[in-house]
Amino acid sequence: MTDLLTVKNIIAGYGNGPAILDGATMTVEPGKVHCIIGPNGAGKSTLLKAICGMLAIREGEVIYKGETINGLRPDQIMRKGIAFVPQERALFPKMTVRENLRMGGFILEDKTELERRVDEVMERFPILKERRAQLAGTMSGGQQQTLAMARTLIVKPEIVMLDEPSLGLAPKIVKEMFDIMNVMAQEGITVLLVEQNAQMGLKQADWGVVLDLGRTLFEGPAKEVLADPRIQELYLGSNKAA
Amino acid sequence: MSNIIQVLILGLALGGVFSLMGAGLSLVFGVMRIVNLAHPSLIIAGAYIAYWPFKLWGVDPLVMLPVATVIMAAIGVLLYKLVFEREAKSAKYSEMTVLLTFAVAMIVEGALGGMFTNTQRVTSPSYATEAIFIGDIFIPTGQLYAGIISIAIISALALFLKYSRFGNAIRATTQNRDAAQLLGVNVNLVGVVSFAIGIGLAGAAGVLVSFVFAFFPAKHWEWIAILMSLVVLGGMGSILGTVLAAFMLSVVAAFVGAYIGATWSTMTFFLALFIILLVRPQGLFGEKPELA
Ligand SMILES: Nc1ncnc2c1ncn2[C@@H]1O[C@H](COP(=O)(O)OP(=O)(O)O)[C@@H](O)[C@H]1O
Ligand SMILES: [Mg+2]
Repeated sequence: MTDLLTVKNIIAGYGNGPAILDGATMTVEPGKVHCIIGPNGAGKSTLLKAICGMLAIREGEVIYKGETINGLRPDQIMRKGIAFVPQERALFPKMTVRENLRMGGFILEDKTELERRVDEVMERFPILKERRAQLAGTMSGGQQQTLAMARTLIVKPEIVMLDEPSLGLAPKIVKEMFDIMNVMAQEGITVLLVEQNAQMGLKQADWGVVLDLGRTLFEGPAKEVLADPRIQELYLGSNKAA
Repeated sequence: MSNIIQVLILGLALGGVFSLMGAGLSLVFGVMRIVNLAHPSLIIAGAYIAYWPFKLWGVDPLVMLPVATVIMAAIGVLLYKLVFEREAKSAKYSEMTVLLTFAVAMIVEGALGGMFTNTQRVTSPSYATEAIFIGDIFIPTGQLYAGIISIAIISALALFLKYSRFGNAIRATTQNRDAAQLLGVNVNLVGVVSFAIGIGLAGAAGVLVSFVFAFFPAKHWEWIAILMSLVVLGGMGSILGTVLAAFMLSVVAAFVGAYIGATWSTMTFFLALFIILLVRPQGLFGEKPELA
């Protein structure tokens, strides 16, 4: 097995509440783009939160590079190389763009190296360079999403998890977000993408995971998931209508 | 005219002291969402740390400033470990911490009263009884020193928060706890350290307070309302906001005291607290409060 990350039958929920994830399973191969689809409320965001340690896992296992990582804190998991851009984008609204990027490299001890990488990322995203002194909270949705995604690149993570990067953005901007994601993939970063628009998400992905009611219904090569009649009927069709 | 300048200067000096008294409260609220009602009682504990060495051996209160800061910071760590770390896991965290800090305030007041009685105290180093004259204007040096030292300490804090790695982690945690954690910040550690700094600042403020105001264990009840007005006007958790609010309200209070009557001076803060909460709960500089 060459899995980078394996999620094995995890059960998790919020506080003392009911199990939201009830046997979620997925395999993550290095360097590939994985797209998690499923209806609203299926537990897609919850799955990413469980993997990154923001939510306690009650049963089951998350294995990363052969090591069980459930039970670790989010900051510890992040230091192992798993970055997460949540749906809410998780910026520091009253810090400048540059300060936000610097926070992205918080774990780097070497200050000159940090500054070098911040500059490097700003070169790659001219909009961030242009707005480096602007407070993050005052930027548009697309710019904030760009910053949130670009910020993960400062530490060169192994895995980047993106929760609905297209949410609330105009189609043209959505394309930009997918471009950033594809660049990440080209650089060898493993991507876990949650996408409401299943059709669009799966087209960009190598691997598809279908989640419903906190359970993995199906996972396989993205093309097969796209073509599977059950899946088409269940999710893709309803998504087109929506 | 000189009278106006006189009142303004006194107001500003007082504003400096109130800034420092409010800064720790604001820091702790920002990072941990704890409204620490015990903060003023801990300031009074700091004042006693300056008082006894002065009374017994004539030690200059300013010499005790670093000592009180360190002792109170250590007490802060203890309090955090005993009380708040445990509560942080509770779903009713916010409500519980209000009650807990209230209880801590009562305990501190009781302990100080038990040990030192409720007699009014004040340290009176020579500078606390002197004044500088510039023309017709006189400035009590005690208040002037206290104001300047407060501003120096707050400036150091601001530089630390803005430019140091750990300071940035504190600011990040204040603005978005989850995001900070997702970028590798150990937010529990940030919590303890911020709490220690906050209570350490209470200790430092207490030392300055010891020669600016007469104090006794129950005095903190008056201060909590004053400090709350600063923190609320400043936008809950913004230290810069708290400082600006402290200067604004202190100057207004000084003018009210001079031209309307000394008893109305403190009322300025209480009235401000009330009006701000009604009219602009996010404060002057804050975002709309998150009701989460
Ligand atoms: N913070 C939370 N506290 C309690 N329940 C939550 C929380 N977040 C999400 N849920 C519940 O968990 C379920 C799955 O939510 P989520 O993972 O956000 O779904 P998805 O991302 O697939 O739309 C929903 O029923 C939702 O109500
Ligand atoms: Mg979601």
